[in-house]
Amino acid sequence: MEIPHFPIGEWARELADRVVEPTVADRDRERRWNPRLFAELAEARPGPSLTGPLVPRDLGGAGLSATQTVALLAGLGEGARDPGLALAVGVHAVLATVPLRAFGSPWQRERYLPRMASGEWVGALSLQQTQGASMAPAVTARPAADGSGGWVLTGELDLVAGAPVAHHFLVVAAHDDGGRTAFVVDRATPRLRVGEAGPAAMPTCPWGRLVLGGCAVPDTAVLGTVAGAATEVEPLLAVLDWVFSSAPWLGLIRALTRDAIEGARERRLFGRPLHHDQSVRFTLADLAARCELAEGMLHRAAQQFDSGHRPSHQDAAAARLFVAAAVRTVTDAAARLSGPLGLTGDRLVGRAHRDGLFFAGTGGGTEVLRPVIAASLLELG
Amino acid sequence: MTSTTSAYDPAGTTSAYGSAGTTSPYNMTDTGSTYGMTGVASGTRAAPAFPGIAARAAQTDATGRIPAQNWKELADSGYLRLFHPPEIGGTGADGLTQADAMEALARACPGTYWAATVSALLCGKLISTYGDLRSHEPLLRSLLSGERLAAFAVVERTAGSDAGTYRTTVRRAGAPGGGFVINGEKSRITNAPIADVAVVLARRERLPGDDGPDWCLAFVDLHQPGIERYEIAHMGLRGMPWGGIVFTDAHIAEADVVPVPFGELAEGMAWGWLKNSLAAIAVAESALSASVRHARERVSFGRPLAHMEGVQAQLAESRAQIDAARLLARRAMCERVAGRSARDLIAMLKIYATEMGVEVAARAVQIHGATGVTQGHEVERLYRDAQMNVIGGFTSNRLREQVAESLGLGPAVYSAFDWVTPAGLGQDPAGLDGLPYAEEAVS
Repeated sequence: MEIPHFPIGEWARELADRVVEPTVADRDRERRWNPRLFAELAEARPGPSLTGPLVPRDLGGAGLSATQTVALLAGLGEGARDPGLALAVGVHAVLATVPLRAFGSPWQRERYLPRMASGEWVGALSLQQTQGASMAPAVTARPAADGSGGWVLTGELDLVAGAPVAHHFLVVAAHDDGGRTAFVVDRATPRLRVGEAGPAAMPTCPWGRLVLGGCAVPDTAVLGTVAGAATEVEPLLAVLDWVFSSAPWLGLIRALTRDAIEGARERRLFGRPLHHDQSVRFTLADLAARCELAEGMLHRAAQQFDSGHRPSHQDAAAARLFVAAAVRTVTDAAARLSGPLGLTGDRLVGRAHRDGLFFAGTGGGTEVLRPVIAASLLELG
Repeated sequence: MTSTTSAYDPAGTTSAYGSAGTTSPYNMTDTGSTYGMTGVASGTRAAPAFPGIAARAAQTDATGRIPAQNWKELADSGYLRLFHPPEIGGTGADGLTQADAMEALARACPGTYWAATVSALLCGKLISTYGDLRSHEPLLRSLLSGERLAAFAVVERTAGSDAGTYRTTVRRAGAPGGGFVINGEKSRITNAPIADVAVVLARRERLPGDDGPDWCLAFVDLHQPGIERYEIAHMGLRGMPWGGIVFTDAHIAEADVVPVPFGELAEGMAWGWLKNSLAAIAVAESALSASVRHARERVSFGRPLAHMEGVQAQLAESRAQIDAARLLARRAMCERVAGRSARDLIAMLKIYATEMGVEVAARAVQIHGATGVTQGHEVERLYRDAQMNVIGGFTSNRLREQVAESLGLGPAVYSAFDWVTPAGLGQDPAGLDGLPYAEEAVS
């Protein structure tokens, strides 16, 4: 059957299979981040590099389109079989990068983007801050007391993907009047601390808690317009998370489906091969269909970034809702078909089960995605 | 008759419904993308492009008849010509245009859509693929002009897609060149009660020395002695003519019997799977539209339904599922129109889209409450209409078998079901104190 794979996805899949996959089980068990792996993904040649796909070429990036980047991340997910590392790469290369590209001042773009593209600087942000203000603001911004300009940031953020290795953080902070502003805060900022904390899931992603204990940041740290985050960075960040954090999972469900097919061919029950069982065959056919359907949803959402128009937030939310459901469906079935022994060995099924649940809860989960889609349908909200 | 030419000669091609309109409503510009969704979409999709047919949809369902005006509007719209190249009277629309047009017509009236699309798309493709243009161009042109309506007759009374049970047979009427006769009965066939011609899957009587395939497609003129037809009442798509055809020594011209290897048939049937999938997507979109409308209007417990998170969740799930199906349908249609088989992709689409259509329609009924189960309400009709998409042209599970095989799982394996008891799992166990004495003594 013909499945249109972009060559760029194939390239990333082979690279990740060679570089990342061999150590995934160990890193997962030890909850370990290997900076050398990240550097290898950044420097792999010939190829676009996984650290700067969306950074324009004149700023040292690969200048890929959004659709190519989705293919790249899907290839990473499929080859690496490592949801945590793929998340870390996506957060750095897309979620922390694109807002700087879209709203950064010339100074900010020239300072951050080339070094992010090369992998020299890692950008990080909290997954609590990718759903607009649907969660209560955790960071406040007040004008510097001495009237010399600049801002003082106070608060704590959990679920900061990349925190322990980050050079800088993308932070959205609330003003006393409710307005919100995005900042790029360097790690070297005084009174900024990174604490150890992370979810049980995605242990191969470097997690941490960002503590801003009254950090003074200059006006040049503001990303976009003061009090403009609600119309600038926040909607962009939400859609980037919905689309691009889903992309590795497209590759992961392809890998899980392939594993499930192989498992069904190998296992025997009642003296017959499992794949002779009609309900097993039906399940596998459905898994293959889910992969194609998920690809279509992500492809459309990514394509809208390449169209020159504003991408539809409804379509992006629908893509995330669909992919998250597909991940659960595929993971459950793959776990069932691989049997009780399937959680040993390479253990992708086990990782995917744990991390897929986490994935389904991020980006706001169904309790954010459904009302977002419904609001658009009902012209309410 | 000893003529070797088709019964469908050019003399009979004057259209009863007028020629196709000069401008098609489907000349949308191609976005150049596989998925064709570069623009920003929001809300539900645009209203149907067949307002007259849509306005009569309820009446079409209630009376079980497609009004003559529908056929006229169909022919005028150019819909019937979209799927074919200009050489046979088509307009050769691109894949996305075809998909959009199919969805638009199915949104207007699923019953009319089925009847028209079985004839112009499915039968048209079967005739143009397996037939011979020299003989069958007039027949094709008459289907595309709307002058004639075709049925695709595969299933018989005995079973669904199990061809092993089919008995309808074509045999020579006399000397070679003298045409054929067909005997048998086809049942549960779209358009059977009113069609002018049937594309019939039949067994071929093979004379000694004939090592051709066992099966053929026969293009049978249904206006002749030896043809009897009947209607069958059905659950949904009530406007769509549905029923059976009994062939008793019905005559077929020499050129109208085309030997076809059975395995080839699924390739042609895939056009039908696309037809069902787009019908399902359209039914689901109509059901979602009605649900959104109802949610905005209906106030319950002091709150409009639209403000209730439970209802919002249902609408959002439907939106995402319909989008996923439509994107795959558009991709599959483009693959197919570009000349690639895409058979397994279309099979996966048919499974997902048609079952999704049923699910979304059921949700719509639930959102509407008692109104939704009231006879004559739009969602009650859509709920019924959604079912045939799953069943017709190979059921979901038949297609799952096909997909499973192409995933490398080998052909379906049948084993008599006898493995539970030998494995020790077919009996109730002993209790806590072991088996009762009497039973042990007996054994």
